Amino acid sequence: MKKIKIFAVLGILLAAPIFIAADHIDAPGVAGTSADIADFYAFEPTTGSDNTVFIVDVQSNVLPDLTYGAFDEDVLIEINIDLDGDLVEDQVIQAIPRDGTMYFFGPFSPSSTGLTSQVATGSALGSVEISATTAITTTTSNGVSLFAGPRQDAFYFDFIRFNEVIAPSPSDNSGFNVPGTDTFDGANTLSIALEVPNALLGTPTAVNVIGVPVYKTWVTTNRKQ
Amino acid sequence: MKVYNIKFLFAALCASVLVVGCSNDDDNMNPVTPTIEVDFSGSFSQVDHIGRPGINTVLSRSADIKNMHNVTIPSMMQATFQESFEAQLEGLHDAYAIALGFTAADVDYQPNILGDILNGAEPTSETNPNPVSATVLTTVLANDVLEVAPNAPTTYFNAGAGAPTFDGAIGFTGRALQDDVIDISLILLFGGETGARFNGQDGFPQLVTDGVSITADNISTSFPYIGAPE
Repeated sequence: MKKIKIFAVLGILLAAPIFIAADHIDAPGVAGTSADIADFYAFEPTTGSDNTVFIVDVQSNVLPDLTYGAFDEDVLIEINIDLDGDLVEDQVIQAIPRDGTMYFFGPFSPSSTGLTSQVATGSALGSVEISATTAITTTTSNGVSLFAGPRQDAFYFDFIRFNEVIAPSPSDNSGFNVPGTDTFDGANTLSIALEVPNALLGTPTAVNVIGVPVYKTWVTTNRKQ
Repeated sequence: MKVYNIKFLFAALCASVLVVGCSNDDDNMNPVTPTIEVDFSGSFSQVDHIGRPGINTVLSRSADIKNMHNVTIPSMMQATFQESFEAQLEGLHDAYAIALGFTAADVDYQPNILGDILNGAEPTSETNPNPVSATVLTTVLANDVLEVAPNAPTTYFNAGAGAPTFDGAIGFTGRALQDDVIDISLILLFGGETGARFNGQDGFPQLVTDGVSITADNISTSFPYIGAPE
């Protein structure tokens, strides 16, 4: 029984196409498309700040033949924020490009939740010209900083070795190399960034595993039907 | 309806331009609301999801599970994926057991440093067991959301002084650009109670670091915080 499980696992690992963390190219259904999420960061910009920064990366040129270079007007990016810990979004921020400009909506409380969305045109936040190499940023009247454009992929990972590490054999069972090789060094991605006053998001009642109040957040991409 | 909304949007934009620009353009205070119509109509269906980095990549054990994970709402994820995540975690340990010439039963996931930290001052022992079993860890990870604290410094996870005291340990308050999320994930999955199990020593494989660190020019200290493209 145990052996059957092992060989099944090994078979799957060996048969699997190359895949990459953090979310780059994570699943065959979306890998390499204009809607493929590469990464998500959420952080306090400076100690004691009353703002939270959200950075979402879509697409990446870390490997050849991936879709990369332009935001897709049929792809709606959503940042979901759960305040009470039930893992259902209480606040949503949306971003979608039109003709060289990234439009942002929210934060708003969605009237319905789930896998299907519409653009919350009644909750316009602001917009920013999509940058080329030099970052163009803007700040809305309610204090939200906005950015959209190509950036370096800040993720770092020896993914080439990773794909070998998860399929060990008697002749290659040493794990990672130290030092390794950062596959993402030199890679670019398409980023959107927002710095949002916490007051616009609400006060979380959810806590993390060590009891600190937290927003529970996640990002989705959604394609126009 | 659409035109009304667009005007609303551009009114907001003009207000933001005024805030930014009024200090050096006081004479030009006649914003004109553009009459451009931008079409945001339509219905959008979810195709990709990310919470914590690498969860779907590492713990979903088949193409079908990876695809399903991307279109599952977080409140359903634990029920849908915990069992297969745990099987994948044990399967990776079993794969190394086999590759190293042992039997699969010889090498299992070992409760990790997070459990030692949660146990606090009282040492982990038979009577005070490490609470982070494979089931507990994969239950936490199956709920694939990124926690971010609005009023605490951001650290994906930092074991502080490390074993055995873990003084200063903190984590689960967000993900900063410089956080080494791969090493942290590897430590929690393969590092055992010291964080250093499978550390490449004494004939063991190196499974607790991938051996790379962030490139300095990838990040900056001001918005948007990420470096210009190469």
